[in-house]
Amino acid sequence: MASMQKRLQKELLALQKDPPPGVRVDEASVTKSLSTWQVDMDGAPGTLFEGEKFQLLFKFGPRYPFDSPQVVFTGPNIPVHPHVYSNGHICLSILTEDWSPALSVQSVCLSIISMLSSCKEKKRPPDNNFYVRTCSKNPKKTKWWYHDDSV
Amino acid sequence: MGNCLKTPTADDISLLHEGRAGSETGDSSENLGPPPPYQEEAPIYHPTPNTARPVTQLTEDEQIRIAQRLGLIQHLPSGVYDGSKKGRECVICMNDFVIGDPIRLLPCCHIYHKDCIDDWLMRSFTCPSCMEPVDAALLTTYQTN
Repeated sequence: MASMQKRLQKELLALQKDPPPGVRVDEASVTKSLSTWQVDMDGAPGTLFEGEKFQLLFKFGPRYPFDSPQVVFTGPNIPVHPHVYSNGHICLSILTEDWSPALSVQSVCLSIISMLSSCKEKKRPPDNNFYVRTCSKNPKKTKWWYHDDSV
Repeated sequence: MGNCLKTPTADDISLLHEGRAGSETGDSSENLGPPPPYQEEAPIYHPTPNTARPVTQLTEDEQIRIAQRLGLIQHLPSGVYDGSKKGRECVICMNDFVIGDPIRLLPCCHIYHKDCIDDWLMRSFTCPSCMEPVDAALLTTYQTN
């Protein structure tokens, strides 16, 4: 537990000092134990999401960074993207089976920005309605099928 | 193959105590009430990075895989950080290496704190930095040497 907090403290400082473009940690949202953060994200210029604002919710378990964080979009604007469900869940392999403890909040943010930026058509995943009705609240409990690497 | 998984040794001891109490004190053992519930927690293992299960609930295949991992980890070179590569941090705990820290070297030449990487390798036998499977790389180094 102590090592998790030490690492999160370092990540928080680094992200506050030198965030990737369009990324801000909402400092008021960071809980005392550092286990929940909200990160504000701007749609990258020159992409379909230019000018839009999104919020990501990160939840860290006591075994972080050995366990991946739980990451979902939250707030009023959930990006319309083939890998983002309307409840905020994200189909991104590094959030589950391809997680590595060398990844960080910053690298997860960069992956999500890159995923949004490579989008060519704003649409929901084909199984959105069914998934949103039946899924667990925790996206890590979903058995994801990663079948499309193009976006 | 032997079973190199840690099994709770308290198991046997509690059985011994129970047997002795019964034979020496006879009926009076009832005054002691039922034996305390079995409290020692079985160690948790991670057959895949996203599953956590007590050792008692692993399938035979998973037990074998974890035993193999335990064995393979022992074969990975380890040592102490001597400061020859400056300004390096362990990407798992994000702390800089300090001279004297126990470290482990993976076949892909990435180094980590020993405790940090051993904890990860028990979940996934891949290098966190380059995602190279450690066992495949280990076999390659054996073949080329």
